[in-house]
Amino acid sequence: MMHGTIRSVSCVWVVWVCLFFCSSVTMVGAAPICANAQGGCHVLSLANLFDRVIQHSARTHGISNNLHTEFEQYFMPSKNHIGRVSRNCHTSSILTPNGKDNAQRMAREELTEVILKLLVAWRDPLWHFHQSMAHHHDFNNFSSNKALEMSNMVHELHKGVEKVAEKMQVLGIISNTVSSLVSPEALLASDSSEWRPMRDYDLLYCFRRDSNKVQNYLKILKCRIIPEHGC
Amino acid sequence: MHASRLCVFVQISSACTYVACIQPLEDLAAVTPPEPHITECISRDQATFQCWWSPGNFHNLSSPGALRLFYINSLASEWKECPKYVHPNRECFFDNNHTSIWIPYCMQLRGQNNVTYYNEEDCFRVENIVRPDPPVSLNWTLLNISPSGLNYDVMVNWEAPPSADVKTGWMRIEYEIQYRAGNTTKWDALEMQRQTQQTIFGLHVGKEYEVHIRCRMRSFVRFGEFSDPIFIQVISSKGSTFPLTLVLVFGITGVLILVMLIVSSQQRRLMMILLPPVPAPKIKGIDPELLKKGKLDDLNFSSTGGGLGGPPTYATDFYQDELWVEFIEVDAEDAGTGEKEDNQGSDTQRLLDVPQPISHHMNIGFSNAVSFPDSDSGRASCYDPDVPDQDTLMATLLPGQPEDGEVKTSPAPERLLIRTQTAGPQTWFNTDFYAQVSNVMPTGGVVLSPGQQLRIQESTSGTEEEPQQGKEHKGSEDSEEEKEKEEQFQLLVVDPEGGRQAAESNTPQMFAPPSSPIPGEGYQTILPQPAETEPAATAEDGQSPYILPDSPQSQVFARVADYTVVQELNSQHSLLLNPPPRQSPPACRPQHPLKALPSMPVGYITPDLLGSLSP
Repeated sequence: MMHGTIRSVSCVWVVWVCLFFCSSVTMVGAAPICANAQGGCHVLSLANLFDRVIQHSARTHGISNNLHTEFEQYFMPSKNHIGRVSRNCHTSSILTPNGKDNAQRMAREELTEVILKLLVAWRDPLWHFHQSMAHHHDFNNFSSNKALEMSNMVHELHKGVEKVAEKMQVLGIISNTVSSLVSPEALLASDSSEWRPMRDYDLLYCFRRDSNKVQNYLKILKCRIIPEHGC
Repeated sequence: MHASRLCVFVQISSACTYVACIQPLEDLAAVTPPEPHITECISRDQATFQCWWSPGNFHNLSSPGALRLFYINSLASEWKECPKYVHPNRECFFDNNHTSIWIPYCMQLRGQNNVTYYNEEDCFRVENIVRPDPPVSLNWTLLNISPSGLNYDVMVNWEAPPSADVKTGWMRIEYEIQYRAGNTTKWDALEMQRQTQQTIFGLHVGKEYEVHIRCRMRSFVRFGEFSDPIFIQVISSKGSTFPLTLVLVFGITGVLILVMLIVSSQQRRLMMILLPPVPAPKIKGIDPELLKKGKLDDLNFSSTGGGLGGPPTYATDFYQDELWVEFIEVDAEDAGTGEKEDNQGSDTQRLLDVPQPISHHMNIGFSNAVSFPDSDSGRASCYDPDVPDQDTLMATLLPGQPEDGEVKTSPAPERLLIRTQTAGPQTWFNTDFYAQVSNVMPTGGVVLSPGQQLRIQESTSGTEEEPQQGKEHKGSEDSEEEKEKEEQFQLLVVDPEGGRQAAESNTPQMFAPPSSPIPGEGYQTILPQPAETEPAATAEDGQSPYILPDSPQSQVFARVADYTVVQELNSQHSLLLNPPPRQSPPACRPQHPLKALPSMPVGYITPDLLGSLSP
């Protein structure tokens, strides 16, 4: 009898502990994120969303940096040569602020659009970059995996920024003019094959720059809209 | 600015590819090229930047204005001159308006006559040359000190460099704290920190620590300069650490001393507790310790004046209780098997028909004779100290014998007690436990003198007779060492009132000659008949070893000394007793068994002896 009592008490205790911890875990954000609080999904705050995308962009930029350094070891290209410098990346057609003042003067909607354009423009090139790296036997699997990871991260980053834009529009922070998918510039950049002749190294060179731009713009946007946390 | 090197692929296997880089020696030596060159370009806030140049070995160009700096970027179509010169530093400063991020810049030096010193490596993007200023306002606060007072934690906090615009998010900075103890040269680096505070754990009290900090752009590699160091030191108050060790040392020492004192003072008690003494063989009235030591003259029966003799080695209570327990036997015939001394008293009284209460000492001595290290009663100490036979003590020189014939070897006294009490107590005359053998019957019985004060006999007297008598019945006894000297012999208790207590066996099997001579014995009993090996059936059926002599002999008891020395055997195998001088010390001389005996007390037999000697 006592054995049964002990067992039932222990079961109740285990269940209670599980409930307690599981609830605390779910509070962290294991539930699906949705822009509007309906359907029972956990709603993240805008600050939380921003933090996530900013962290993601930082990681993307870090990976691109590493890959670029590895490429430099393999190929010893002349760094920042003016000849190379003058060669445009395929995203050069997208107008991006090139300075702090310009970035701060830019409207939120424009800034958001720029970010989205950049991310859209890099989806296909990065995927092909990964493919070419996988086929090249000169590179080890580590670099190939990094390229794949980079490609996936850009994809996720794009979706995350889209969600941020949605939320901002819902909250009325920005107007509803942001629509990256139908922007002609973005379509042009993604459909154009300007990037195809680029060599892998140049792709990395350009992407390293653009990922830094994305990270910077996101941070500026966040600190302009939500200056409380971490600015 | 950039050293050129040659890197090649070295493919060991399909899975391993190495890159080997070779740097020309001349490039190593020519880290600083001889011609005028750009030394460094740094941006502090990612909005402006500066470039420094050096004339190299061209000292004629070292004067300000001899060299001019030109730059170009992707936005510009041609080379432009430095917007702002800082000539004392050979520096060119690019302000906000002339700085664009994410576009490449290339620098060029031009001398007079449009001589151009240009290096293709001197191209960069501004975000890649950012080295933030060191953080400011570095200070520390004490978090806590460990309970031992030896370690502490500090919280170091600082502020971002004012030149770095972190508020708008334009620059994302991470910080690195490094610290070292005052006398070491190696810095310890903590993890990169994004907040403007960090905890340093585990610093040692009394040491001086040096802390400095630097920062860099997140996800970039170039660090800025280190800040000015600050010094952290926590001095322990002597009252906290010093007494602790002292207290510990003294406390432990004191405890040790205390424990040693306790152990030394209570040594005996501890020995008793830890190593409980083995129950010694029980001889009534004899201390086995004295027997072991061979001090036979120290043996003293407890009945003599409360002679507990010397201080017992161990608490006598232990022995007393022990033996009391052992003595108590559940006997159907026993009237009361309850408590000890009362029973003993009653038994003794019953045995001896002694109206007066038996002295406690006697009772105790009766049953605990073995435990009492009796004092020397003055007898000669010429008894053989090796005589271990304590059971031969005739502490129970009892007039009477229950019909229980079998005698157990070791707890002898109580057997005798119980046996004796079964007999008709009324037949017993008033004697003490110990009685002097005053005469020996022709039949072999021993006549005891009644009413004499018992004197505790030395065990040797009993032991001598025991081996003489017990020899015949050796086979029937356990082969213990004490038994090999036991000779069965029967003692007769004379009843002056004439009642015969027990039928004496016809076999005068009283005293066998000491066929097994005990070496060194000064006294040997003379036994009437040697080699009497026939166990008499009459004796075995529980006859008392004590046989009352015929009445005519009782007159002998009138006034005889307590102890009589059996001098010799006559032709009729009777003991010839010489009245010994009172309490004269027996002479220590080895005796022929048939020779005259010193005035030693007659030996006593123990119940086991009695049982075995029953003919």
